[in-house]
Amino acid sequence: MRAFELIAAKDSGQAVALLAKHGPSVKILAGGTDILVDFKSAPHVPHMVIDISRAADMKGIDITDQGLRIGALATHTDLMRSPLIREMFPALADAAHTIGAVQTRNLGTLGGNLVTCVPSMDSGPTLVALEALVTIAGPAGRRQMPLTEFFVGPRKTILNHDELLVDIVIPKKNLGKPAEFLKFGLRKGQALALVNVAASLWVDWGKQAFREPRIGLGAVAPTVIRAPAAEAYLEGRKIKPEAMAEAGRIAAGEAKPISDFRASADYRRDLIAVLTRRALENAYARAKAKHEEEKK
Amino acid sequence: MTDVTININGKTRTASVPPETTLLKLLRDHFNLTGAKLGCDVGDCGACTVIVDGKAVNACLMLASQADGCELLTIEGLATQERLHPIQQAFEDHAALQCGFCGPGVIMSAKALLDENLEPTPQEIRDALSGNLCRCTGYTKMIEATQEAARALRDQSADRAVARIGKE
Repeated sequence: MRAFELIAAKDSGQAVALLAKHGPSVKILAGGTDILVDFKSAPHVPHMVIDISRAADMKGIDITDQGLRIGALATHTDLMRSPLIREMFPALADAAHTIGAVQTRNLGTLGGNLVTCVPSMDSGPTLVALEALVTIAGPAGRRQMPLTEFFVGPRKTILNHDELLVDIVIPKKNLGKPAEFLKFGLRKGQALALVNVAASLWVDWGKQAFREPRIGLGAVAPTVIRAPAAEAYLEGRKIKPEAMAEAGRIAAGEAKPISDFRASADYRRDLIAVLTRRALENAYARAKAKHEEEKK
Repeated sequence: MTDVTININGKTRTASVPPETTLLKLLRDHFNLTGAKLGCDVGDCGACTVIVDGKAVNACLMLASQADGCELLTIEGLATQERLHPIQQAFEDHAALQCGFCGPGVIMSAKALLDENLEPTPQEIRDALSGNLCRCTGYTKMIEATQEAARALRDQSADRAVARIGKE
């Protein structure tokens, strides 16, 4: 690795001040599982790196008045083991479990996965399906936006060079919302997703109908996306296997998959239809199990 | 230069290194601990696996300064003068290593697993070892050896419990 100057920031405020002071060529280091690999292969490393891995205010997973707050520095292992996440969003723990291997999950952070912004990221679909917000800190203070607006393109987010992703918030209205994440890769371990899908839904038990169904699709567009037409089709519709299959077909038409050496676009579209249907079925099964538990 | 102080295998070690130094380079070049191997150097192969504060990590994907103040366990910290660690013994008994290059990393991944779970299922073992590539492809024997090591460590802790009750 080429030489660089390294400064450790003890919190997000200090990191933002350092970014403002040292200009656009400075890079942020958190878990390092992506960026250190880049530094090793890139001809130019930045002259300065700000290590935020010990920024205390960017860690932790807790309930706030906004909802569930996940610090950007929470590792994938933290997500898998958090009692709050396992209780409220097992799909999020499942998604974290499919990332890399133990060693990368112990170092790699949720914030890093989102900021790196590869279309196949496994953290994206579930958070998108749960309408997560991101909090960004910059010289002018903090701003918040839906995760779908944070993603701009492959390896490109809305972050300015002087801004930092500090946390991810799942809004209060979605706490405990039944969800499911499914990934199809070529192997079980250390594989990129050909397609990954998440679905979340509430159920109107009186009408046996879908309420606020949300679908997140990964690896099938320049960024992780929602499938609004499939969601609109399901909204208020009676819960039936045929409806979920149709939503899968609609979702496949909303994506823009590419053909590459891993899979063809047609194959990916077929995967979207199947995985979306299954994710809806499994999210519904979770909703039903919870509903029956509550009736007791 | 960056100053780092790390407790490695029970001993406090200090060094002053350039900031871009990885933890792996620190171990191998500065402390002469060459058990952790330099394989892919990008976090795919797991040959450099060490345990930092109880968690298995790739030493090639951490800067030395990020381990400052941490407790580190490397393959050199497992055996004593008298005997191999039960995991190493099980790997030897099962002939679980062929060329051996991946061995230190695999054994440290198994150690991190067994430190938290002495009754892993075969699937849990596969998951724990999935970040360690063996190009001799001898994975089955490693999984069997890890199961055997789990048994040996369970017996060991049962023996200790019996001895403790005996004393009381």
